[in-house]
Amino acid sequence: MSTASRLGWADAVFLIAGYVALDWMSFFHPLHGPYITPWNPAPALGLVFVLRHGWKAALPPIAMAVLLAEIWVRSLPAALPASLAIAVILALGYGAIGDILRRQIGGMGIFSDRSGMLRWLAIVVVGTLLTSLFFVLALVGLGLVPASGWREAVGRYWIGDGVGILVSMPLLWMLFDERARLLLLVVVKRADTLGYLLAAAAALWGVAGLGAATDFKYFYLLFLPIIWAAARQGLAGAVLSAAVIQLGIIIVVHLQDFSAISVLEIQVVTGVLVLTGFFIGVVVDEQQRISAELRHTLRLAAAGEMAGALAHELNQPITALSAYGSACEELLARGETGERLKETIRLMVAESYRAAEVVRRLRDFFRTGTTRLEQVPLQELLTAAVASFTKRAASSGVTLTVEPVPAGALLADRPQLEVVLRNLLSNALAAVAEQPADRRQVTVSAALEGSDRICIRVEDSGPGLSGSAAARLFEPFNSTKSSGLGLGLAISRAIAEAHGGNLWAEIGERGVFRLLLPFEGTPANA
Amino acid sequence: MPDLSVFIVDDDASVRDSLGLLLSLRGYRTAIFSDAESFLQALSPAWRGCILLDIRMPGMDGLALQRRLLELGCSLPVIVITGHGDVESARDAFKAQAADFLEKPLDQAKLMVAIDEALSKYQLSRHESEQRARLSGLLATLTPREREVMELIVSGGHNRDIAEELGISPRTVEVHKARVMQKLNVDGVAQLVRYSLGNR
Repeated sequence: MSTASRLGWADAVFLIAGYVALDWMSFFHPLHGPYITPWNPAPALGLVFVLRHGWKAALPPIAMAVLLAEIWVRSLPAALPASLAIAVILALGYGAIGDILRRQIGGMGIFSDRSGMLRWLAIVVVGTLLTSLFFVLALVGLGLVPASGWREAVGRYWIGDGVGILVSMPLLWMLFDERARLLLLVVVKRADTLGYLLAAAAALWGVAGLGAATDFKYFYLLFLPIIWAAARQGLAGAVLSAAVIQLGIIIVVHLQDFSAISVLEIQVVTGVLVLTGFFIGVVVDEQQRISAELRHTLRLAAAGEMAGALAHELNQPITALSAYGSACEELLARGETGERLKETIRLMVAESYRAAEVVRRLRDFFRTGTTRLEQVPLQELLTAAVASFTKRAASSGVTLTVEPVPAGALLADRPQLEVVLRNLLSNALAAVAEQPADRRQVTVSAALEGSDRICIRVEDSGPGLSGSAAARLFEPFNSTKSSGLGLGLAISRAIAEAHGGNLWAEIGERGVFRLLLPFEGTPANA
Repeated sequence: MPDLSVFIVDDDASVRDSLGLLLSLRGYRTAIFSDAESFLQALSPAWRGCILLDIRMPGMDGLALQRRLLELGCSLPVIVITGHGDVESARDAFKAQAADFLEKPLDQAKLMVAIDEALSKYQLSRHESEQRARLSGLLATLTPREREVMELIVSGGHNRDIAEELGISPRTVEVHKARVMQKLNVDGVAQLVRYSLGNR
């Protein structure tokens, strides 16, 4: 539950003015007197205010707004006390719905996931049904609606209110919420906004132009723009296109002078259309959020691996720095302040730059995952990577060999590639561990692929991969090992791709991983 | 410590250069090597001192070099340095009789203590082995009879008992004893005992 913010005078005036304006705008096709209309977006504004400010937005502001609307829009059809009673009933109803929403879902979570959306839908549908019931019973009691027509009146009022709220409330809520408003602004400025708005206009034209004769037969065309918007821009896009489509429909039914009953039917279908869009939008939002979170997690995990690799690199300059520092002390103690001291201090500065470079690279990786490219001789890289595994291989009886590789250098970020190779070698060694003693082999080789790419192959005599295992192999958190997060290969592939390369596994009897990277070969005579 | 050197083997140029500079300023003789292979190539039995050895190096790593030196019977104490400080490599290093095990970044004071300890350990063992070599050389000059006499003297026998045991006259024992003392260049029985104990 969120804490309600203060409702200032300006807010109250804005609420009342907005409510009356929306009510005036949507006052058409009344049934049994001026109260039952097929489209009521005004309560949506009331609900947003109750959601933000609590009960004090319902009573008295909404009650006052309803009363003013009766006086101004409907020319006060009943005696003042009766109108006041009606206004209070509606304000209580909307206040209760808004308050339950606020308690159940809270301000922020309401349109952020499917569960919030579903609860919002349920509360609005049930809440507006009850409000309509009490409202119509009051109207019947006051003699403003004939008792025989109460069922029809409840149904129509419910649809008018319910659809009005369902369609307009998310947009209004977004407009009043600062963060959601910024998001909406960003979305509006994108190029595809124009695309789906044009599609919406075209669909409306199709529905209205062709539909006038065919009883809105082509209504389904309207699903296209709203699904487009939702799929591309999430809830913000869905909300925006829903508002445009709703307004368009209202204009169409006005211009073409539809009967009250068709308008009601159209409103029901519009409600379904809009809800479909909203749910697609929420799912898209959720999916984007999860994928962003996952990317973040992956980056953190990769950075952790990087940190381990870089710690060793950092040790070297620090060791040198402290030794040079002590050497300077020694020189000073002897009274040597000439060239030798200067030279040593110069070396210290160089070492501190070297340390800073390591730190900067790690920080860059944390921030953007960017890579710092340098010329890395292929032979050296492979030999160093394999060397760190020779002991482990020997102790578990694995034959670990590096075949001769083409001369040349990779344009790569060395510690990152070391992380990749370590991962592949570690996996390969683990894969052959279960094999009979004479069948434990891991081979590293490399071959040119075209003129500017090299394919590094890490092959093991393990059981190999099935098609389904290969498909899930690079998914994060998918590990066959009892320890570890299963991030190794996901990170490795991310690193390979960041280098403009790729990493994949072959399906087959033996384990084979191929790492493709940009390569600069050295001519044989060089 | 005169005529003793610190042999630094590290693949990182700055590290070996800075350690070389610092140690030479502190009065040590130093020699630096960029990898295990070049160290092994240059290795000579005439070398005196200790080795400062980095574990992680391309090609032959520090631990492998340490084992190789052990096989070669090289008596230079080895101080192992590592950037990782993992228990396993420490265990391996000590199993191969490392004098000390230090982590990078190096603590200067610890490094100095380790080097001094390694050097004095080296000197001590060298001193002992020189003594031993000298003594065994001297012992080789004794005749079998002189040797018998010496052993009986050392085990605490009097001239008379020795004479009886060897079936010679006490006077002859006296002569042998004097020859032993002279050959081994010792002044009395006490020194002779200490000497022969040192040779066991």
